[in-house]
Amino acid sequence: MMKYFILNLGCQMNQSDSERIQAVLRQMGLEKTENEEEAFVRGIVACSVRQKAIDKVYSKIYEWNEQKASKNLLTFVSGCILPADHEKFLKKFDLIFSLQQLKDLPDMFRQYGVTTPLSTSLEREETEFSPLMGGFWQVKPQYSSPFEAFVPIQNGCDKFCTFCAVPYTRGREVSRPSNEVLEEVQNLVRAGYKSVTLLGQNVNSYGQDRPGQELTFAELLREVGKIGQREKADFWTYFTSPHPRDMTREVLEVIAEYPVLAKQIHLPLQSGDDKVLIRMNRNYGLDRYRDIVKDIRSILPTATLFTDIIVGFTGETDEQFYNTRLALEEFQFQMAFIAQYSPRPGAASYRWEDDVPREVKKSRFHELTDVLLASSLAYNQSLVGQTLRVLVDKPDRKPGYWAARTEGKVAVRFPSQGKDLTGQFVNLRITQVVPLSVEGELVPEYAGQL
Amino acid sequence: MEAQRQCQVQSVTFITPETFILRFSREGLTFQPGQYLSVGLAGHREQREYSIYSPLTADFLEILIRVVPDGKVSRQLAQTKPGDFLAVDGPFGYFLISEAQKQKPFLFIATGTGLSPFHCLTNSLPTLNYQFLHGVRHQEEQYGYADFDRSRLVSCVTGGGGDYQGRVTQYLRDHEWLSETQVYLCGNCDMIYDAFDLLKEKGIPSSQIFTEVYF
Repeated sequence: MMKYFILNLGCQMNQSDSERIQAVLRQMGLEKTENEEEAFVRGIVACSVRQKAIDKVYSKIYEWNEQKASKNLLTFVSGCILPADHEKFLKKFDLIFSLQQLKDLPDMFRQYGVTTPLSTSLEREETEFSPLMGGFWQVKPQYSSPFEAFVPIQNGCDKFCTFCAVPYTRGREVSRPSNEVLEEVQNLVRAGYKSVTLLGQNVNSYGQDRPGQELTFAELLREVGKIGQREKADFWTYFTSPHPRDMTREVLEVIAEYPVLAKQIHLPLQSGDDKVLIRMNRNYGLDRYRDIVKDIRSILPTATLFTDIIVGFTGETDEQFYNTRLALEEFQFQMAFIAQYSPRPGAASYRWEDDVPREVKKSRFHELTDVLLASSLAYNQSLVGQTLRVLVDKPDRKPGYWAARTEGKVAVRFPSQGKDLTGQFVNLRITQVVPLSVEGELVPEYAGQL
Repeated sequence: MEAQRQCQVQSVTFITPETFILRFSREGLTFQPGQYLSVGLAGHREQREYSIYSPLTADFLEILIRVVPDGKVSRQLAQTKPGDFLAVDGPFGYFLISEAQKQKPFLFIATGTGLSPFHCLTNSLPTLNYQFLHGVRHQEEQYGYADFDRSRLVSCVTGGGGDYQGRVTQYLRDHEWLSETQVYLCGNCDMIYDAFDLLKEKGIPSSQIFTEVYF
């Protein structure tokens, strides 16, 4: 059987896109391999967020093209691609396609003289493809986990944050039809999935591209909540990433109402300084962010709060950084993904001088990490003695232990008792904690079942 | 946001050697005053964002463009001719005036082509109670002044010859503003930063300050 190898670069969206690309390759009769040397078809799902990821694409295709002298290979690239790179990739890869063109992949293969057993099956359905994203979302993905799935609900971005190139790689915001989203969620739940993450670049602006014709994000969440009720199913639903500008009280109230909507909010702050936020074109100030956090604390008192921060953004002064530090101390995040700013090709800020020295960025990164560790530890200490429901992920790095996470996505490990609990909910009593993770033991009634 | 449109260039009018108004067909595009479009040549992948200059009522769209010396898109657009096609995405943006704000006093502040959204706002919403400070280096950059209520517009020209000689921030510093004033800032980031600090010093809360930074 003809084999393919796929290299995924970048975020969860790319991982999710790759699951759909792989599903089409599988339908075409190709078999996946992790060993690229034995693959005839080699592809990359590219990411343009950082130059490093782009460099990796160039390095890999150079390597593959060198091998073409002695091997028969077909190469492709898809994913997040900047206009400038698109022109260059055309010359280096055999195939380049957008997600919207995925349904044409069998045809593209045929043009290269490659016929596959099922290469016409997609064509027959062509007239039924939705005009949105060229039917991309209608492709049933090949999920990479048997209990945790990512469900794209939106593609593209209209926010134009100056540090980000997504509007130029993925284009404008397009919401996936809610009936498709809800059908996919329902199927996952019926298949026993325990964790579903709704994905989008600005997940909570869902529906704004078709106001009045599509559900709002709050309404979509409510429908997911109803699936939980209807199916009497046990699962947690997450979403990422929301934009503070579009976060509403209604969204939080819906989350509070349905047990299957996880009490965990990831709300990117990026900076705690109003002027840096202006330069980032984030369209909110610290006061607005503070109001949302107050709403989260009052409507979802048990929710954990995660965030994203960029330190050393162009022009960030000591005082502006200090305001970010103060914000971290104030909001007491359970987790913060802190990045040292690096210019991203294609983004507006790429044209500006990257004027904060690397050492300063590094020092600011460490300073914020210390604040995060302290707030995480304080939260984790409050969990000691509590019995929490957790979803078991995989064996832990520590021999004899399992890795799991709470509803609030706090990492937990606990001693296994010889049985594979992957993908199951279990109850743990939290016994000890460190920053960013906790340790527990199976509660007796559950341990007794083992 | 609506789907991408192909709009046809109707005219290219240079106001200064570097600045021009690009007028093109509207193709049914609806927008709110203060929003921007992403515009490029049809068939080309590169686009840039430009505030809408023309009012809601116009049956065409206009954007005000300064040619960036190393810029790709602005130079391409400067060379278009009537009949050429553009790829237009949008509208985007949140530089808007809500119903609840409309009865309040407004202070609009812009530098250079940052005047564009205010040209749209004031000509689309003629009953607004506003004062507009426009900062430029030279008199020739007084774009579209005939379309403003001149009694509400203060031209701050650093090179002299305007209503006020100096920067908009100096004018801002020298005058008092009502605490309920809704302030809208558009233009380069340095001006916006300076004005932001001054406004806060003068007691305008940040929740009443709205920005659109031109890059």
